[in-house]
Amino acid sequence: MSNQPVVLEVKNLKKHFPIKGGVFKTTQGYVKAVDGISFSIKENETFSIVGESGCGKSTAGRTILRLLEPTEGEVWFNGENLYDIKKREFRKKRKDFQLIFQDPYSSLNPRMTVQELVVEPLLTHNLCTKKEATEKAKEMVERVGLSEKHLTRFPHEFSGGQRQRISIARALIVHPKLVILDEAVSALDVSVQSQILNLLIDLQEEFELTYIFISHDLNVVKHLSDRVGVMYLGQMMELAKTEDLYNEPLHPYTQALLSAIPNLSTSEKKERIILQGDVPDPSNPPSGCPFRLRCPSAHDRCVSENPVFQEVKDDHWVACHLYDEKNS
Amino acid sequence: MESLLELKDVSIDFQSKRKSFNIIKNINLKIDRKMKYGIVGESGSGKSLTSLAVMNLLSDNLSIGQGEIILRTDEEKVLNHLSKKEMRNVRGEDIAMIFQEPMTALDPLYTIEYQIIEVLRYHRKMSKKEMREKAIAMLTSVGISRPEKIMNDYPHQLSGGMRQRVMIAMALVTEPKLLIADEPTTALDVTIQAQILDLMNDLTDEHGTSILMITHDLGVILETCDRVAVMYAGQVVEESTVKNVFDNPQHPYTQGLLKSIKTLGDRSEKLYSIPGNVPTPDEYQELGCRFATRCPFAFEKCFNEEPPAFQVGSDQTSKCWLHDEEANPNE
Ligand SMILES: Nc1ncnc2c1ncn2[C@@H]1O[C@H](COP(=O)(O)OP(=O)(O)O)[C@@H](O)[C@H]1O
Ligand SMILES: Nc1ncnc2c1ncn2[C@@H]1O[C@H](COP(=O)(O)OP(=O)(O)O)[C@@H](O)[C@H]1O
Ligand code: SF4
Ligand SMILES: [Mg+2]
Ligand SMILES: [Mg+2]
Repeated sequence: MSNQPVVLEVKNLKKHFPIKGGVFKTTQGYVKAVDGISFSIKENETFSIVGESGCGKSTAGRTILRLLEPTEGEVWFNGENLYDIKKREFRKKRKDFQLIFQDPYSSLNPRMTVQELVVEPLLTHNLCTKKEATEKAKEMVERVGLSEKHLTRFPHEFSGGQRQRISIARALIVHPKLVILDEAVSALDVSVQSQILNLLIDLQEEFELTYIFISHDLNVVKHLSDRVGVMYLGQMMELAKTEDLYNEPLHPYTQALLSAIPNLSTSEKKERIILQGDVPDPSNPPSGCPFRLRCPSAHDRCVSENPVFQEVKDDHWVACHLYDEKNS
Repeated sequence: MESLLELKDVSIDFQSKRKSFNIIKNINLKIDRKMKYGIVGESGSGKSLTSLAVMNLLSDNLSIGQGEIILRTDEEKVLNHLSKKEMRNVRGEDIAMIFQEPMTALDPLYTIEYQIIEVLRYHRKMSKKEMREKAIAMLTSVGISRPEKIMNDYPHQLSGGMRQRVMIAMALVTEPKLLIADEPTTALDVTIQAQILDLMNDLTDEHGTSILMITHDLGVILETCDRVAVMYAGQVVEESTVKNVFDNPQHPYTQGLLKSIKTLGDRSEKLYSIPGNVPTPDEYQELGCRFATRCPFAFEKCFNEEPPAFQVGSDQTSKCWLHDEEANPNE
């Protein structure tokens, strides 16, 4: 994986939502949902973004795909900055980027049959004739583990896992290059979740896909990812190869996050770092390091200066003043 | 010593004008004093209905068709035979419950102070001042650093983690013998989950409260419980100490579930998965084992006759024909 070429490069991406208030609905401040994140993704890689709810994962995903307009930053895909492309031009490229959500129920039109749902992306992008589309839909539906007899049914007739199979069929039928999976298996029960994860892994190889996998579930992320980025309050705190991140987390936040995963062994008791308090309000973040109010290692510098996101080991990035000396 | 709560052959049925079917079938559980007991299962397996049956909070289209729910405090009561009024005294006084989403139990129109004091007013004879002091002490004990401020807040002003703390404070303020917690941390982030589980463990240890912990997460069971019942399709399929169930699972469903979880994170291995889907109550096999259609070991008898809960080892039961030497084709 490490010698694959880079396909996607995110540079200093920001997305701030204005907070409107008062009689004249003026802007009173900003929710800095994504506040300057940078990373690159290699071809056929699975890059995961983890972090607690509200840290900006979904906003990052949607902004990368230009479903939200960025406040600042660049996203380079195969050598061009997506944000420089005219809106109409970009529409043609849209099929290269697909998004799969947590709750397939809200993203599947309840009045459409599976057949209609799966051919729709092909027809809207004018990729083939109706007849060909029907043929492709049949193939695709079988590939994701449903059968031909399901084609005439409606989304509500399916279980959560099967609905997610329908969303996957819809996303992949146009042969995208990049797929963002936003909490795509989070709502599923264990026995069904593992079926869908296996399917996603197989399809990635078969369709040569690059995945951005967004999740709060650290066990699932560990299973699936080549590299992982940890977000907190709109910023990237740490980024590393999966093994490195799980075996040797550098950032105090990552350390706490990993230690909070419930243990699955009866023999060893886990040493747990219990963080105090809640994630701060992103419209009113603390000065300095975003994590400092909950950080067990916070010191003076953390109050005054936001740490720089820097590479401290081979492909292991961290934003924390504890690692400052190593670079200066 | 006799157990604090006992479910004897409890079944729950669904009835409407158009159809009726069984959901929960022959549940047997025993929870001792001070014990932390877990019920684990995937969604739809009947965990919540079991706990609602204990609290006498089943909706009108559901009823306990058979069995007894026995609570032994100073006296012995059969909960499913009590009147509404008698049950209202049991709730809060003897048994308290917390839910996944505290907003369902907290009233959005009243301050936290009002809601805690309401509980005390109903169950305790105290002066206004005493009730207020007790409420503040309770909020402090659940780790809320500025209880006086929180007292004046409305539920929506609090974060998910804070709301769950307030729920725990309200549940424990009357010092019940049993705390039922239905997915109390499922909606929370892991770092907050760790805080809340830690807190629940400390508080119940301190007061000798028993816990019935209901969750889909085996990790949470391992963190908090002494014993566990594994539910599948409205039945308890396996029951034992947490250690036995994790280290030596006997039922094919428990084995499958644990295998899925243990291969997760080990990237060299293909993730194990149980084939098929969790059935809904109208799909439950009337004859035979409810897991038979997904079970890798199923043989003829599994489809024709319901297995009893076999005693395996000294302290473990498993509802599976494989434990019957005469039936098992591999023996
Ligand atoms: N459309 C929006 N308008 C205003 N604030 C938003 C909007 N979408 C998300 N936010 C805020 O941005 C922050 C990040 O949200 P989100 O990206 O959904 O986080 P995550 O996916 O990590 O849970 C949150 O504080 C959220 O409330
Ligand atoms: N009021 C009800 N009427 C009909 N079926 C119900 C009702 N409540 C729950 N059920 C069904 O009973 C089964 C068990 O539900 P529940 O106890 O909520 O499961 P769990 O808590 O394990 O997810 C599910 O299949 C559910 O759909
Ligand atoms: S009784 Fe049969 S079908 Fe049921 S779990 Fe045991 S082996 Fe499997
Ligand atoms: Mg999200
Ligand atoms: Mg439930």
